[in-house]
Amino acid sequence: MQKARDIRRRIRSVQSTRQITHTMEMVAASKMRRAEERVRAARPYAGKLSEVISGLFAPDLAERYPILRQPEEIRRSALILLTSNRGLAGAFNVNLIRLARTRLEELRADGVDVEFHVVGRKGLSFFRFRREKMASERIDITDRPSMADAHSLIDPLIPCFERGELDAVDIVYAQFKSALSTPPALMRVLPVEPAGGNAARASNYIFSPSSEDILTFVLPLYVRNAVYRALVETAAAEQGARRTAMKNATDNADELIKTLTRRYNTARQSQITQELTEITGGAEALRG
Amino acid sequence: MAIPGSGRTFNLSVISPELKVFEGPVKFAVVPAHDGEIGILYGHAPLIALLGEGELRVETTAGTRLFRVAGGFVQVLENEVAVLSEQARDA
Repeated sequence: MQKARDIRRRIRSVQSTRQITHTMEMVAASKMRRAEERVRAARPYAGKLSEVISGLFAPDLAERYPILRQPEEIRRSALILLTSNRGLAGAFNVNLIRLARTRLEELRADGVDVEFHVVGRKGLSFFRFRREKMASERIDITDRPSMADAHSLIDPLIPCFERGELDAVDIVYAQFKSALSTPPALMRVLPVEPAGGNAARASNYIFSPSSEDILTFVLPLYVRNAVYRALVETAAAEQGARRTAMKNATDNADELIKTLTRRYNTARQSQITQELTEITGGAEALRG
Repeated sequence: MAIPGSGRTFNLSVISPELKVFEGPVKFAVVPAHDGEIGILYGHAPLIALLGEGELRVETTAGTRLFRVAGGFVQVLENEVAVLSEQARDA
């Protein structure tokens, strides 16, 4: 039987851990709310962009615009993995890393030469340890990603794609479905696959300059915006995953405190009983 | 006033990737297009134009609002005007 005092000490230690996880849970919850707001704020822009592009897009344009080219065979591709800089978010980073690894293996099995870009300390340390060759390593993207981050991530890759040095660009990111559901997902950024266009409506527009010029201008915006969306969703998903992980930790601590308190009471009780027995035993002996 | 479309309001939104900068009914808007300014009134024909760098002037029912835009495009369709720019902010 553990001594009552030892149990008391453990309870106190669990309690202080609980306080930390509980605080982290609340911080993550408030950060998530703000990040979620950013995900929502990004939607009107994305919606308009795809609306305009699908209105302008025609399949025969693909031959004339390098950015629209649809390579028949993929020989060289880039894979961008987004992870977080901080841990304590449950399986969040592990899930992302696992998806990226499966994708890498798939591509390599098909004989594709993969250029691997990693964002976030967690992904970096994993792949550094595995001695994976990475084309770029970045830890400067905060939990409030900006459009400038999307620029710096994808801008060097767009010309490579146009020149035919890359045939595809994929992103592994975390989808923000809800606070509780943040599954890792794979998004093809390039080649652009516009949704079926509404050609009839597009023909009524006055274009300034020509519709082709507008399309060449708008397409990079579309690509960049897709990257931006992946960044903000991953940022929100990270906070969501952390909140869930910390909530579980807090609940576990509560459970543990309950069991330990019960054990402490038993130990205290038996200690008192024993002391009483000893005292009465001693008194009996003296009287006898 | 005999100018068609003047005095009536249409919906205009100024959208950047990070947020919706402005949305609401306006009477008149001047958009800095790539080759000069475009004035938009109620009943404007459908239009997609690239933007240059400059000032976006919006006459709302409550007064004039100014925005800075650099790059992007404007779409006009059925009295819904959307100004999209990676850099759009209050001036």
